[in-house]
Amino acid sequence: MDPVKKITKEDTWRSDDLKVHIEAHNEESKRRSKREEEHRKYRDGESLDRRHRDPDRDARREKEKQRERESTREKSKHRDPDRNRNQDDKLGDIREDRYKERKRERDNRQGDEEEKGHNRGEKENSERRRDREKDRYKDRDIEVHNQGDRGTNREGEKDRDRRRAERDREPKSETDRRKEERRDREKDERERDKERERERRERHRARESEQRRHEYEEKQRDGERRVRRSDKEHSGHKEKEHRREREDREKRRRDKESHVAHTSHSREVEQQHQERKESKDVFHSIKDGDREKAREREERDKRREKGHKEASESKRSDRERKHKDSSGHDLSERINRDKEEPTKIPQLTWRSIQAEMSDPEIPVENEENKQSSKDHNDYEEDFEDYEEDFEDVDEEEDDNEEEEKEEHDKKLREVKRELSPKRREEIEAVQRAIDEENERIYSARSKATTAESAVTQRERNSDRSRTHGKIIDFVSAKQREVSQKVAKKQKQRSEELLRLIDLDFSITFSLLDLPPVNEYDMYIKNFGTANTKQAYVQCNEDNTDRDIQTEEVNMTDKWTQHPPEANAACGGSKASEDSADESTSRINTNSQRLTAFLRSAAQVMAVLIEENMAESNSVKRLRSQTDALSFSDGCIQLNTKLPFLHGRQVSLLQFSQVQRQTLLSVHPPSSKSSAVRLDSETIICVWNIWEPSRPQKILLYESEVRCCCFSPGKVTLVFAGTEIGSVVVWDLREHSGTHVNLVVGKELWTLRYPTFSTDAVLSVVGHLSPVVSIEPVLATADTSSKSTLTADIDESLGLSFQLGSLDENGVLTLWVVVELQKGNDSGSQTDLGLRPGGKVKLLHSSSLQTTEKSPQDVIMGFGPPVSLQLKFLPSDSNHYFICTNMGLVRHGTRHSLKVLPKLYRSQFDSCRPVEVTALDFSPSGEPLFLVGCGDGTVRLHSVLREDPLMEWSGCSSGASILSVQWSPTRPAVFCVLDAASDLHIWDMTVKDHVPFVTENIHNDRVTAMAVFGEPAKQNTFSGVALAKQSGKVEIQYFKESLTVPNAYDKEKLKSFLDNAF
Amino acid sequence: MDAGANTYLIRPNYKDKFKAGAVRECVREILREQLYGVQYNPDEVPTLTTSLADSIKNKLRDMGFDRYKLIVQVVVGEQRGEGVKMAARCFWDADTDSYAQEIFMNDSLFCVAAVFGVYYY
Repeated sequence: MDPVKKITKEDTWRSDDLKVHIEAHNEESKRRSKREEEHRKYRDGESLDRRHRDPDRDARREKEKQRERESTREKSKHRDPDRNRNQDDKLGDIREDRYKERKRERDNRQGDEEEKGHNRGEKENSERRRDREKDRYKDRDIEVHNQGDRGTNREGEKDRDRRRAERDREPKSETDRRKEERRDREKDERERDKERERERRERHRARESEQRRHEYEEKQRDGERRVRRSDKEHSGHKEKEHRREREDREKRRRDKESHVAHTSHSREVEQQHQERKESKDVFHSIKDGDREKAREREERDKRREKGHKEASESKRSDRERKHKDSSGHDLSERINRDKEEPTKIPQLTWRSIQAEMSDPEIPVENEENKQSSKDHNDYEEDFEDYEEDFEDVDEEEDDNEEEEKEEHDKKLREVKRELSPKRREEIEAVQRAIDEENERIYSARSKATTAESAVTQRERNSDRSRTHGKIIDFVSAKQREVSQKVAKKQKQRSEELLRLIDLDFSITFSLLDLPPVNEYDMYIKNFGTANTKQAYVQCNEDNTDRDIQTEEVNMTDKWTQHPPEANAACGGSKASEDSADESTSRINTNSQRLTAFLRSAAQVMAVLIEENMAESNSVKRLRSQTDALSFSDGCIQLNTKLPFLHGRQVSLLQFSQVQRQTLLSVHPPSSKSSAVRLDSETIICVWNIWEPSRPQKILLYESEVRCCCFSPGKVTLVFAGTEIGSVVVWDLREHSGTHVNLVVGKELWTLRYPTFSTDAVLSVVGHLSPVVSIEPVLATADTSSKSTLTADIDESLGLSFQLGSLDENGVLTLWVVVELQKGNDSGSQTDLGLRPGGKVKLLHSSSLQTTEKSPQDVIMGFGPPVSLQLKFLPSDSNHYFICTNMGLVRHGTRHSLKVLPKLYRSQFDSCRPVEVTALDFSPSGEPLFLVGCGDGTVRLHSVLREDPLMEWSGCSSGASILSVQWSPTRPAVFCVLDAASDLHIWDMTVKDHVPFVTENIHNDRVTAMAVFGEPAKQNTFSGVALAKQSGKVEIQYFKESLTVPNAYDKEKLKSFLDNAF
Repeated sequence: MDAGANTYLIRPNYKDKFKAGAVRECVREILREQLYGVQYNPDEVPTLTTSLADSIKNKLRDMGFDRYKLIVQVVVGEQRGEGVKMAARCFWDADTDSYAQEIFMNDSLFCVAAVFGVYYY
């Protein structure tokens, strides 16, 4: 129990200190309050300074003085309380407790009462110390705490008290010596003490809480130590640690003191303290090790009690007298203490701390011992006080100076109020005032201290809360403590962090926005797909599920190259197939073109085949017939044995000027009835002499055709003048489908009717008499009628050319051949003569009356002049030559210009009624033309002379000349056909008086003749087509002598011209 | 109150930073795994939501986000055609804290999972 005893010693010292201080200060304050009010301010400052600098020394001196004073003065003053105390001592602790309870109930200043009780208790304790009655000690503990609350401000005082106690216990000589020495010092300081006492009295009246604020000040001063201590306290062993720290502090102070005054004594003290420490440490270790609360508590209680007892005993030895004095009357005690306490207040803090530390123990004691309610009250009050202290700590740190002043003022008031029942209210008022003062002072206080104080305040808060927790359950309290500590840390952490962090409100995040679905959509969603099934998804690039079915893209490799190499411009695996496909597709798309091509190609092919056959045939025939015709080199017979040509004669044969192999044969209607009902119609057949088997085209017209001709260029148009005075046009390019297709004898024949007919044209502009001649007007009039040139020009002009037609009355009408761009299948409303779908029409250009009515003719009674044939001058198409029935050839121009010679007449008589039946210009370009007359004479005229160059009259033996035609190949050769069916071939280079050859074809009369030949080509050929009476058409090729031109031809013609002039 | 303890990491490391995109992916995966073809059943939804939230939280824990407090909110509701609006507002440090949310829907239910990552300094 050594450690316990030592601990208790310390505790007792505390309580002793308290009492000593209280009493001493009471006396001093009373004295000084009266005397030294003037010096207050100065002393206040001093006291403050002292507190800060060396509170220990001051306290020491004060304590010593107080003790002396207490011993003398207080006896007299407080005799009654002392007596009371003595009585109380006898009555026992319980009574004291009750007494205190009552007092507390009445008075806020429980501390005062407690002090009284404490005083009493101390005495009792000193007497019964060895008895160790726990109850009492508890009471005393409370008292000690209360006293501590008031009196711990000056730790130095405590130290001295303890020392005194020690001295009491130990050799008294030392203590005596010390006391004496101190007394000397104390006398010097008495004035200051008095001041403090006054102040303390005032504060004493105020609540203990306020007094405890001073404790905080003190703590702050001791801050460094306490910080350490508080850390230890957190660990849960506060009490012992507190004690230890206290001892440490005391030791230090003692060391100081000892150095100052009694080193030997201080050593002893130190030894004692060390012993105590050791004991505590031991106990501490025990406590740590042993977790059984009950035992721990008991031990603690014992220790505390011992400490209290010891303290009280130690003090009691010094203060028994005082206690006797003060134990008399409560009120008187209170007064005294009021006075005493203010002086103590600055020193109180230390005790209050002790009290606080011991507080946790007290509840434990309560629980265990179930002591009187007074104890509880005390504790509760203590807690309240603590709370208040914590609230006000900061404020009260620096308020000492001003508080002291106030306290002096209030002291007087308090003295009056001592016995008054309203004391409480006054105290409260004082407290308020003090608070204000404290605030003021606090503001003036240095920053360093505030910082310290803040730290200590926090610690204390935590301490307090922890102590509360321990009352109930140690473990949970500890846990709570820990958690609170953590919470505190976090709080601090958050405070510091909040400075670094900016918190802000975020924008409102829309987590979900699901729009309401209307009923229909909901229905469809639920049931709309009930009877449907998804078979395939066509395409969804992102979705790779197996539901997807996308056709693969066909890819082939190809290459291409430019320029192409070895006939390959492109290639690849399937190049050939593709190209084949392409070609077929091309053909398909161009089917119309293809048919057109095939048609033309078929024509060409047919021609070629036929030519080959015809040639072979002709060779045979020629050989067989060479005998018949002397001039003939060969003969081809056109196949005119067609059913619709049966029985018809050929009235006219006409070769194309450009395409020399193309032949027109005009078959006028015959009297005999044929198998085909085309009797009344004239049939015109277009032949290719190389293809004699059948005519290329068959043209039909309703009336008799008197004349016909080809278009000047290619053989595309056929013009015809008719008996009824109309001019008709056939367009050979028209498709056969648009014409009448007639199946005759298992063969399909296309019968074409005219594309355009002037029949529907107004009769004013048309011909009123049969058209006897029709001739295209060549635009290339100035040239010497070169066929090739003409053809070229015709090409360039297109189909736009003029056509001249002459009727019997000598009316020359010029037509413009117009080709329409587009045919109208439904027919034209304006061009009534135009066949539906026809593209060519004739526009009337002009009309000329070429004949002059000469009275001479009428007188002579020859009848009206008749125009028989029209020719345009090949070199100038403006000049026309018209054969008349008066043996004259009339010469004129289309523009009615005067030209000479006006007439071409025979050599012998100027005018006689002889028809000029034939007229032909020399194809060689010489201005010569042949004229055949009805009396059998043939004349050669120059264009420039009226008279003929040559006139042959006797060759035909009077028979009418039917046709006179120059050979296209030889300029000096011409053929003459007379009505006696004699064919005369003239070669003027050989004979210029008689025909070179005269062939009489009598077995089948020749009715028409046409000479053909190709002059420009090397493979020159020439011949004559002969239309027989039977309807046959023979093509006789001339012998080479008649075909190939020689140098003499032109010379002969020139000689004719020269002779003429 | 060691002086040394007063240094604070007030910004997360870049690799630990709350990445809303990654979290979203994670949440989406979990929602798809656990809710695919699930029909709304009012009896099971409470457990479903808590299990979803737990699994999301656990998965996110594995992803790092050191020093982040993760708050996972899962709401599952039935799709009956009603309009639903959900919104959140936060008082936080926008530099460090973020959130991610993912919505899962099928014919019978919708699920909104929101994860708030709050940096713990």
